Amino acid sequence: MTMRSEWTHKWSMAVDIDKCTGCQACVVACQSENNVPLNTEGLFNQSRAMSWIRIDRYWEGEFPNVKARFLPVMCQHCGSAPCEPVCPVYATYHNDQGMNVQIYNRCIGTRYCANNCPYEVRMFNYWQPVWPESLRNQLNPDVSIRTRGVMEKCSFCVQRIRRAERTAIQEGRDLVDGEFSTACVQACPTGTLVFGDVNDPDSKVAALAHDRRQYRLLEGIGTEPNVIYLKKVDPDYENVGANEH
Amino acid sequence: MQDRKALTDKQINDTLTNSILRTPLHWYILTGFFAVIVLMGFVAVGILANRGLGMTGMNRPVYWGFFITNFVFWIGISHAGVMLSAILRLAQAEWRRPATRAAEVLTVFALGTAAMMPIVHLGRMWRFYWVFPYDWARGIWPDIRSPLVWDPHALSTYLIGSSLFIFVALIPDFAVLRDKTTGMAHQIYGALSMGFRGSVRQWRLQAIAGIILSALLLPVFVSVHSIVSWDFGMAMAIPAWHTTIFAPYFVIGAVHSGVAGVITVLILLRWLFRWDDFIRREHIDALGRLLFVVANAWLFFFALEFMFGLYHQEGTEVVVRDLWLFQTPWNVIFLLFIFTGYIIPVPMWLFRSVRRSFPLMLFTTILVNIGMWLERFLLIIPSMGRKHSFTFVWGDFAPSPIELMIVTATFALVFMLMLLFAKAFPLIPIFDIKEGNVLRDEIQIGRRTVQAVIREE
Amino acid sequence: MSTNHHHEPNIFQLEPVEVTRDVIARTRSRGSRYWGIVGVLAVLLVIGLIGLGMRLGSETTKLGYYAATFSFLFTTTQTAPLVSVAFRMTKNHWRRPIARASELFAVVGLFNLLIFIPLMIALPSTEGRWTIWIQAASWSPHVFDTMMLASLVVCGLGLLWSGAIPDFASLRDKGGSKIYSKLAMGWQGTVRQWKMQRVLLSFLGAFYFIGIIWTHYVISSDFSMSLVPGWVDSIYPTFHALSGLQAALATMLLTAYVLRRFGGYKEYIPMETFWAMSKIFLATSMLWFYFWWSAFITYWYGRQIGEQHVLQLINFGPYIYAFVIAFLFCFVFAVFMLIWNPIRKNPGALASIALMVLIGCFFDRVRLFVSSWSVSDLRDQHHLHYVPDTVLPEAPDIMIIVGLISGAILVYMLASRLIPVMSIWEMRELRLYQRSRMLVRKKVMVLGKPE
Repeated sequence: MTMRSEWTHKWSMAVDIDKCTGCQACVVACQSENNVPLNTEGLFNQSRAMSWIRIDRYWEGEFPNVKARFLPVMCQHCGSAPCEPVCPVYATYHNDQGMNVQIYNRCIGTRYCANNCPYEVRMFNYWQPVWPESLRNQLNPDVSIRTRGVMEKCSFCVQRIRRAERTAIQEGRDLVDGEFSTACVQACPTGTLVFGDVNDPDSKVAALAHDRRQYRLLEGIGTEPNVIYLKKVDPDYENVGANEH
Repeated sequence: MQDRKALTDKQINDTLTNSILRTPLHWYILTGFFAVIVLMGFVAVGILANRGLGMTGMNRPVYWGFFITNFVFWIGISHAGVMLSAILRLAQAEWRRPATRAAEVLTVFALGTAAMMPIVHLGRMWRFYWVFPYDWARGIWPDIRSPLVWDPHALSTYLIGSSLFIFVALIPDFAVLRDKTTGMAHQIYGALSMGFRGSVRQWRLQAIAGIILSALLLPVFVSVHSIVSWDFGMAMAIPAWHTTIFAPYFVIGAVHSGVAGVITVLILLRWLFRWDDFIRREHIDALGRLLFVVANAWLFFFALEFMFGLYHQEGTEVVVRDLWLFQTPWNVIFLLFIFTGYIIPVPMWLFRSVRRSFPLMLFTTILVNIGMWLERFLLIIPSMGRKHSFTFVWGDFAPSPIELMIVTATFALVFMLMLLFAKAFPLIPIFDIKEGNVLRDEIQIGRRTVQAVIREE
Repeated sequence: MSTNHHHEPNIFQLEPVEVTRDVIARTRSRGSRYWGIVGVLAVLLVIGLIGLGMRLGSETTKLGYYAATFSFLFTTTQTAPLVSVAFRMTKNHWRRPIARASELFAVVGLFNLLIFIPLMIALPSTEGRWTIWIQAASWSPHVFDTMMLASLVVCGLGLLWSGAIPDFASLRDKGGSKIYSKLAMGWQGTVRQWKMQRVLLSFLGAFYFIGIIWTHYVISSDFSMSLVPGWVDSIYPTFHALSGLQAALATMLLTAYVLRRFGGYKEYIPMETFWAMSKIFLATSMLWFYFWWSAFITYWYGRQIGEQHVLQLINFGPYIYAFVIAFLFCFVFAVFMLIWNPIRKNPGALASIALMVLIGCFFDRVRLFVSSWSVSDLRDQHHLHYVPDTVLPEAPDIMIIVGLISGAILVYMLASRLIPVMSIWEMRELRLYQRSRMLVRKKVMVLGKPE
């Protein structure tokens, strides 16, 4: 029997749409964990706001029966990622843990990967990021600061994964499901986001991958996304599972 | 009918080298004017390099803007050269003779200009060379799966091939110039003409080299713009780009805008250097007829692309067509494009009197290129703004002053380079014109005198 | 400047009077060999029609070979007049010997129209499928495609007739049957009549050109692409038209060779005609690959599941043998043989390559039409979820293939009995334009350029 520590982890995330309130705590947590540049009003007006995880909000229905549907979208770490073959310099590739990784100092900023991402989860540094003096101490030393001209995106907080792996090796044990998580998962108040190793049969994520509510975003276009979405159950609708958000 | 004056060899030599040996004053004024704009363009690029791409109008999700539109446009213009010199040479069309050199030179300069555009639009433009096949950093080679790696290689091949082609065709003309100049100029032309004496063997070799290069350049000509089109065609996330017709559609659009560009250049050169005896009505008449056929072929491909965009009856492709037709400001741009690119010029070319009028041909061909620039814009930008079904992240684009400056500077650059070339080398091939004269003849059919051409085979 | 041809220029030597007499004689007399071939073809046609009868009423998934044969005949015979039309537009003299031979294929268009009707009836309705007739009635393809094909046939016949009037007049004047007086419609060869004929030829030629491109578009879209769920291929109509142009050139090369070798027209059809056609033939063979590759790479690169299935269906899956033959014959062998000058200067070699390309074109139609008709019963689906197995040809299919192709050749041969296969007036006109003279020490041909 293979030791769990010798398995290839396949990091995945599950997003339960039924529980998402659209509070954006995940967005803020991600920004502070990963040194994502600050989104000023000017940046929003230029349509260049950057958030590695975003909450899409879609309005449904007519007043007074209007509903807001929230959809957290982050990099899907696609098994057949369309962003990977189009990068001329191999700045983005698929690692052996099922993640799509971005190498900042290899990126020359052609932005083809962002064009070819159907989920629109890649962010480009149009400007040199600037942090005010007061926020400099808040920067996470585990994550490199990106210069202008490079792409960035959700990395499943790879720095936390590596730290947890190193700790586990030092302590001579396997990783335990739930001992660490990404920043967004950590901050989510409702438990919408779940992170883990889908290859581990005991993990929460693996169980959710077989949930009867599970689906993937843009199924059928062949990207094999690694993020599991769980359908919203809306008692107002006739058929459970008829509305997919 | 063909209206020709009988010109002696000496007259041909003198007139076609007048741009080099007796440059008119307006050449200096024009070149100076364009040089200023080019310098402003370089300053703009410097600012861009210093402050970052935030200075442009690009955003999320419209990651590519004016620079890429301009890139595709200039690649398009560059297709005129091979069309006119290689294809028409293989088809033995006599009317190509004055146009070939100008078309080829326009090709090389347009290509060079186009090649600068993807570099300028990079986030870290100082690292552009990482796309070339070499282990520049830490054992990583470029990713050959990427269309952005195919692009620079195809472009370089076309650039080198076209440059060789021009050079081979220039050798006899260098010899003429060598014999008409003294001093430093004489030394340079002498070196460039590589000892060309006009012997039978040398002419034969020069002709064979030209034919082989023509034949080899033809597949390159088709593949370069196809590869550029696959920058867009391979992007499966943008439904409006994910269509199989892009390769021939772009190529035919390139021929359309390129041949129109050559006609514009020829008419301007004729005025500038008083080459009225060489660029005659019959030439622009024939070019106009070629352009009419190409424009209609282009329309067919455009109609196919439009139609198949609507084929699904669902999704973001329909939205893009809806944008083009019904939403301002896109529908204004669309109307402008379709009128200037096709509806005004093409029916005009049905009439012989229009095709034989220099001012009207200048007008229509400039219109065509305005239309084709807008066509590239409409094809590229709204498609990114309306990607997949995540309507929350749909976006729009507006150009910034820096982009406008740089794009204007590219036009000034190409004009300036053409003028500089005319100062150093003849823009109408001297030997080609003389060959045309040798092969010309007349025959009597009944009471009519008909122009004829001598066929050696 | 030409450096690679070392033969004397081909100057058409026959006197105008000789041309008329010669061509009329050949048109009128036919040997027993001719009637023997006609007899065999007639028998094969009957067998083919029996096969067609057996197939009608089968489910649509079995009609693929019939559709493929129709598409093949349409592609080769109805695109053939384009060779005459296009090169009359560009005012090339080398088209003259084959001009009538290519326009004569318009008569085969009538045959194509007749065999099209059952296919049109068998075409499934567009209900639940994507189609180029967006939001139109579900009988749109049936009506509009028939109308387009019929208009094209009428235009082609008109083109043939206008091009042949002077020859009908010659035949009438040389003591031909009454039918020629009717066909010649009082042609006397006045200046006004010649001018009118020229105008008619240019207009009908332009309409035919536009018509054939659009007919390729509707036939290929309605009869193959829209039958396959999820197949949206904007280049496919142009691929079909281009492969039609390649097939048309192949047909004309083969026909020119047959006329030269067996029809006795050796003096009429010079090397220059073969040489010029071979260059364009090479170009279209390269373009075959280019258009096929554009479609393939766009689909394959995107990795979308439905599109990968379509690629399997039409290229690499159940019809891979047909695809490989088409690829090799229409592109690989064709291009790598045609790039050699000695091959392009040899009419026999060109005819063999033409035959090979025609076989390749047939297999190309098989891989496109048999595959798409094999899924024609899929409704209300917008993606191809699975790739069905190969539909192999059965006895009725073989009968249809052999019979219908024989029928097309038969119609052409019979038509050539009525209408001279060599254009008398165009060859006589060539004599007017051609001169020979000495240039320095070489004998060269001088060719008048009409405006």
